[in-house]
Amino acid sequence: MSARTVPPSGLKPTWSSIFETGLGARAYPYLMVLPAVVIVLGVVVYPVLSGIMTAFYDVTLRSLNSGDMDFVGLRNFERVFADPNFVRALQNTVVWVILNVVAQLGLGLALALLLHRAMPGIGFFRSGILVPWVVPSVVAVLTWRWMYDPSVGIVNELLVKLGVIDAYHPWLGDTATSLYAVTVESIWKGTPFVMLLLLAALQLVPKSILEAASMDGASRWKKLWYVILPQIRVSFAIAAVLTFILTVNNFNAIWLMTEGGPLNSSEILFTLAYKYGFKRFDLGLASAVATMLFVGLVVATTVYLKLIQAREED
Amino acid sequence: MNVRSILKGGAAAAVLALGLGSSPAFADNIVMWVNAALANGPDAPLYEELKAFQAATGHTVEVQAVPPIEMEQKLFVALSGGAGPDVMTLDIAWVAGLADAGLLADITEKAGPIASQYQPGPYSSGLFEQKQYALPLYTNNVALLVNDRMLADAGIQKAPATWQEFHDAAVAMTNKEKQTYGVSFGGNRMGAFQLYSFIWQNGGDIIDAEGKSHVADPASVEAVDFLAKLYTESKAMPDSVLTAGNWDEVHAPFVQERAGMVVTGDWALAAVAKANPDLKFSVHPLPAGKQAATVIGGFDLAIKANTSVPEASFELVKWLSGERSIALMRKYNRLSALKKAATPEAIAALPPNMQPFMQQAAAGRARPVVAAWTQMHTDVFANAWDSVIRGKPAKEAMAEADAAIKNLLEK
Repeated sequence: MSARTVPPSGLKPTWSSIFETGLGARAYPYLMVLPAVVIVLGVVVYPVLSGIMTAFYDVTLRSLNSGDMDFVGLRNFERVFADPNFVRALQNTVVWVILNVVAQLGLGLALALLLHRAMPGIGFFRSGILVPWVVPSVVAVLTWRWMYDPSVGIVNELLVKLGVIDAYHPWLGDTATSLYAVTVESIWKGTPFVMLLLLAALQLVPKSILEAASMDGASRWKKLWYVILPQIRVSFAIAAVLTFILTVNNFNAIWLMTEGGPLNSSEILFTLAYKYGFKRFDLGLASAVATMLFVGLVVATTVYLKLIQAREED
Repeated sequence: MNVRSILKGGAAAAVLALGLGSSPAFADNIVMWVNAALANGPDAPLYEELKAFQAATGHTVEVQAVPPIEMEQKLFVALSGGAGPDVMTLDIAWVAGLADAGLLADITEKAGPIASQYQPGPYSSGLFEQKQYALPLYTNNVALLVNDRMLADAGIQKAPATWQEFHDAAVAMTNKEKQTYGVSFGGNRMGAFQLYSFIWQNGGDIIDAEGKSHVADPASVEAVDFLAKLYTESKAMPDSVLTAGNWDEVHAPFVQERAGMVVTGDWALAAVAKANPDLKFSVHPLPAGKQAATVIGGFDLAIKANTSVPEASFELVKWLSGERSIALMRKYNRLSALKKAATPEAIAALPPNMQPFMQQAAAGRARPVVAAWTQMHTDVFANAWDSVIRGKPAKEAMAEADAAIKNLLEK
């Protein structure tokens, strides 16, 4: 006996009736998500796999043009590790990520707590604090570049007037300060996003818990540590992971301010991969760095989320 | 075959015949990428020139403007993928890399008969491993821009013409209290580009015709040392030398009248005049060392290796780089690379501020046309310059640069 529904007498069967019962009904949801799956496979999975594959081949413009690409095993990784700039970039990336993540989370939380109050004009301050996040990153970076100008920059002017420094300093031109100067811009740009996430989480903390804690005589610090932070830990974890990923991938800030210089003093892995790929056109080498970055990001993110999950289960 | 299909076929044939009949035989469509400065609006002189080309040949040209800062990368990526333009304008420094990757058409045979019409320096910029891959669209070089007021205030009567005069003028215009400096210079690759002329002027070299590196030769080291000490010892350069990564930043102290001189090319004239219309400045040939020399820049025209319209593309390249380029480039305040553009009469016809550039054209030297030049320039020389202005001895920095260049040449 056929599984197909019998159309009411007088009505012609339609295409849609195929998906109402039996195999058609089971296949229906898969068919619906198929276009999305195909697109994701095409624009996410394939490029990632292709990038990883490229790391094991000698891919330069010449080989790309001739189509004659040799499999070189781990040779690209060996070359990357032999490059002193890679070691420098790796160290810088660690410093860059730690400073950014810690500062953005700390400042973001402080601002969220500050703005999570009922006071006149709080809407204005909440909107105002988002300005750095709203400004296009290229505009922000170029503005900061001029602010750091060693001759006419406002940063030097302010610091001299405040008595912090005696004379103007080339913040972006000094190998000792270039990475930290860019980090300040990155923190300024990224903190409002963290603040927004944490402020939204704070709005969801039940007032009754806070009132109960107050009645029990908990200090502000204890309320923050034992009541508020546990309540917003999921949002905090998400903010931490997102900040980590966005910082590692924050190419614009470094590239537009210093291009990784001077003398590689602000080079991070992302800018190094870009230089390998689009300045030297050694795509095998660039893919090796990108693959290491990808694996590092996946491992770090997974470990962090597992730790949060484990704590939640405890 | 029914009547309707016969009529359809007849109509299609008629349309095809009409289409062919309305344009000259073998009319092709040429896709052309140009640096955006040449196609900055619908009234850009290039479009008028292309109309004349189209009227004369029947070929059509589809222009796509690309910002110069992105152009090298876009060309490499597009051409490697088999896409990209049929004809392209490209910085003379990119020719070797693209030719080495097999992305440019070899035009040696076609260019041979017309080679003698170009100035030798710009023409050689299209030559890689004994084959011609490009013809010069326009040429430029670097000269010395001098703030006339600052020079006079420093008690100097004429613009420096020798290294000693250049040094003395730079020191004389430097005033720590007023925060004025003698000369504005670039950092990293900008500074590297500016110092090549001085290496050649001192009798040094970068890479010779046999492909041998000379950057650690005493003459090359001495030139780098001379420039670096203007900053490290004489403090005659502003701190922007540590960070200036584009021409705007190199020009800024000169435009703001904080630096009395700047080593730059003809592209600076309009930018400086626009940024500070009140600035009184003059242009002079670079102060000569043991000999006169200036680094040649400019853009070439090249054809994609596997273009489907090679003949039409070469016609376009020949047209734009030919005799009409003198008038065309004048409209852009740029210099044609034809020999005819460098005759005394042609130089006299140029605006006064453009004349010094063409007067020193004979002393122009092209940068080495080697495949890894971009990397040598941006990684090796840029880092060497950054090192010496931060105190590293020039001999040491140039020895390291020499080793790096030899390594790249071996590859």
